[in-house]
Amino acid sequence: MEGLRQDDPPRIGEFLTLARLDPAARRGVPERRYLARSADGARTVLIALPLQGADPGRWAAEARWAAKLNQPGLWPVAEVGGSAAFPWRASPYRPVLPLPEALDACGGPLPEEAVRALGAALAESLASAHVLGVVHGGLCPAAVLLTAYGPLASCFGAVRAAAPEGAPRTGLPGIDAGCLAPEPAAGGPVQASADVYALGAVLAYAATGHTVPERAELPAGLRAPITACLSRDPAARPEPARLLAELAPGAAWGTQSAGTEPAKLPGRVVAALSLQAAAVLAAELPEVR
Amino acid sequence: MQTALLHDDPHTVGPYLLLSRLGGGGMGTVYLARTAGGRTVALKVLHQRLSADTGLRHRFRLEADAARVIGGRHGAQVHDADPDAPRPWLATEYVLGPPLDDAVAATGPLPERAVRALGAALARGLAQLHRSEVVHRDLKPSNILVTADGPRIIDFGVAHAVGEAPLTQAGAAVGTPAFMSPEQAAGLEHATAGDVFALGGLLVFAASGHGPFGSGQPTDLLYRVRYTEADLGGVPPELVPLLGRCLAKDPAQRPTTEELATALAPDGVPQVFAEVLPDGVLRMIARRGDDVWRQPPRLTPPPPDLPPGPATPPGGAAGPSRRRMLAMTAGGVVAGAGVAGGLWAWLGRGGGPGGEAPPPEPVKPPTRLWTFPSRTPDRFGDVVSTPHGLAMPAGVVLCGVNPESGEGTWQANVADVWRWAVGGTDLYALRDDEQGKKLAICLLDPADGQPGKPLVELAEYRGGENRNQLLCVAGKTAYLAARAVSPDRWYVLAVELRTGRVRWRTGVDAAADGYLPPMLRGVVVGDRLVVSRSDSGIHFVNVTTYALADGKVGWTQASPFSGEPPSELPVDDRYVYLSDAAVGARKLADGESGWLFGHDRDVGGSAGQTRVYGPPALHGGVLYCTEGDRGLVALDALTGSLNWAEKGLKGRRLRRDVAPVVGRKYVYSLDDKGLRAVDLRSRTAVWTFPTDATVLAADRERGKLYLREERATFALPLA
Repeated sequence: MEGLRQDDPPRIGEFLTLARLDPAARRGVPERRYLARSADGARTVLIALPLQGADPGRWAAEARWAAKLNQPGLWPVAEVGGSAAFPWRASPYRPVLPLPEALDACGGPLPEEAVRALGAALAESLASAHVLGVVHGGLCPAAVLLTAYGPLASCFGAVRAAAPEGAPRTGLPGIDAGCLAPEPAAGGPVQASADVYALGAVLAYAATGHTVPERAELPAGLRAPITACLSRDPAARPEPARLLAELAPGAAWGTQSAGTEPAKLPGRVVAALSLQAAAVLAAELPEVR
Repeated sequence: MQTALLHDDPHTVGPYLLLSRLGGGGMGTVYLARTAGGRTVALKVLHQRLSADTGLRHRFRLEADAARVIGGRHGAQVHDADPDAPRPWLATEYVLGPPLDDAVAATGPLPERAVRALGAALARGLAQLHRSEVVHRDLKPSNILVTADGPRIIDFGVAHAVGEAPLTQAGAAVGTPAFMSPEQAAGLEHATAGDVFALGGLLVFAASGHGPFGSGQPTDLLYRVRYTEADLGGVPPELVPLLGRCLAKDPAQRPTTEELATALAPDGVPQVFAEVLPDGVLRMIARRGDDVWRQPPRLTPPPPDLPPGPATPPGGAAGPSRRRMLAMTAGGVVAGAGVAGGLWAWLGRGGGPGGEAPPPEPVKPPTRLWTFPSRTPDRFGDVVSTPHGLAMPAGVVLCGVNPESGEGTWQANVADVWRWAVGGTDLYALRDDEQGKKLAICLLDPADGQPGKPLVELAEYRGGENRNQLLCVAGKTAYLAARAVSPDRWYVLAVELRTGRVRWRTGVDAAADGYLPPMLRGVVVGDRLVVSRSDSGIHFVNVTTYALADGKVGWTQASPFSGEPPSELPVDDRYVYLSDAAVGARKLADGESGWLFGHDRDVGGSAGQTRVYGPPALHGGVLYCTEGDRGLVALDALTGSLNWAEKGLKGRRLRRDVAPVVGRKYVYSLDDKGLRAVDLRSRTAVWTFPTDATVLAADRERGKLYLREERATFALPLA
């Protein structure tokens, strides 16, 4: 969480912005995200806008689709609003740390145990989405929002929104190149196997601090599954359900993604979540500018 | 942790809007509250009955001052306070951490590292307090909140300035016996060294899980505090000498707060306090920070207003207390309860007007049995009960839900609610085949919601057509509205599930709307299929009957319709019922009008709506529906004559697009205040459960009522 800057909007729909979710210097964030509050003080939300220069129509189409989803482990979208040129989507606020902020809070990569739990939760969410033919298509470190109850995958459809099918998708603003599988990067459709590739890159990031790691950097216990996810050949990447079984052997189905019990998190992550929650609880609406 | 506000809680206090209750004690209630700017605080409000006590007001003022002295680093940051208000209040930050007693109860004694860090931080907090010449006097585990950045000392309810005369009467001990100092237990001055004694006791508790003087009767505890040695069993050996000194009977023997802080953490405190905490405590902290953002629980509604009757004194000023009146009316009900079943059975047969009803009982609305988070689909979205469980659309999927626990059991990829139906005890759904060409009918597995092998594949119908509709399944036959490949047009068809044979098909007009299914509902009654349809932009509902044997159209009739087209189609073996400006029954045999009710009734203001009567529910030969904003009416289904009308309902806007549900004691109906239960004997509303639900479904087998809100579905008992 960071203070607003000059070029940040003071108002989005009925909401007045309070703070930025991502630091301005952070790269690879597919959208602009703010903490905001309705003018009557009653609703505090996490609200997102497409990046400047992005196609608002494709972004809004993904937002509307995300609002219909009710899959475990996906960041729920409560409302899509705005106009065709300036769409936004909002969700009720809860304390969240984008994965890069969580690494910052810890002062480096997460412990192997935490990476495993993160991978199991995200693999389970992907598995339950893929069963229904839903492809996330936007997984990257910034899209993973850590909550007290575990990670939630946001930025649904970011890759599909960034450029239409057929056009190469390399070097697009907001798209972390390390998370983009070769097929969508070449302009192909975003398929379930591309989600698995992105998940591999996210786990590599959690374990090392970057999405394109040297094999030797990865903790020995995670080397095989992460490398398999990052195969250039889509057919060689594991199914999310298999990955789940590998990361959390013997775990009952439905127990890994963000649920009804708080997750095991490093103390520093809990402290950062608490700090954010306390700051947002104490925040007053700004004077309307 | 958060509980709903009670009906007699104030709406606002000072500049704060109250959201929920956090707790209560002898002196006041603590609320979660919010400013106009959206800042959320913990608001302590002195009890109304204590507000006149000047001594307590003085103590409340001291508490506010002491809380300001300790500040946000070691305590809860004070936002604002008004000790002079009619009901004095104190607003502080809402501290994100569990009380120490809860933390130890949930996760066991803390490791030594955590006890040291906790103790050092608390000693520094006390030092700051003592420097401002304030003594806490009631340090105990429940007054310490464990947050991610350190412990916070709260509740200065009995704090007072050093040297000030105790506020309470001589001899009356203040504080909590288990953590009291010996001097306090003896009724003597408890100064700063007394707080050190209490801190020692609280660290013994944190390290071992038990207080230094055990537990038991206050008198026994007070004796042990004064005369027996503290029990340090379970305390890590390195801490025993230090904590033993804190618990010395002689105040002069105890360490100062500075000595204690240094001795506990000779190398300074950890950079991030959270790192010394065990996992279980971290989870409790994380939970608090997240849960405070959930929707506050809804208001607990007031007891129902008592009806006029012999129990109510005229004027009421000098009459019996409310409590006594409630007791009296409750007594009356016991006598009346015996006849309830018989009376209901008689009503159910639809006889003439009822006799003198017994007085209604003051009943509380029930509480939710469970809540299932679910998103409302674009349209419809009924909750359907089968012997295997519940099925309901949520977002883009169909969900299976356990009716007893409210837990989701499966999800099926059936996006559109018109593509599935219940037949007998089974769930059927339309599927495309692998290539999206043929239209297939499958059974959904009751255990996991997965579609089975197609029972029937229809190559002549377009599998890829979204609007293909499964109208109903009855007698091992599925009735569909589907688009054929050639010629490209729509049919209503009957498909035998056992053989896969299309028994008949009858051409119908294509739906005008490119998104909605062609029909509203289909129901099988006797030897007919009754289908309703309403094309968008046309304010008519068409009802058509088809012969089950050959699909020949019996009759088609259009009825004008002004509101949302009905998603239910109440039918019995004689009539099909529709309601709008009036309630009407059409004969199933020929489609002619059977009877019409309400076209000549004055129903009062309709607030600009032309729809007067809501969709009816048919139960036991009686038709129930809402009439304007006046309440429910019960009509004899055979003759259309009025059995009874709800009494005494005022100031509600009734929902005109949801049918009521009929139970054994009550008829349930939705209005702008929530779900209203109307007593079948007294014909008056007895309670209202606050909700903005838009779907109401009955499950008589399981005795449950399901309500669907935008984001959740929940169950109430059906009575």
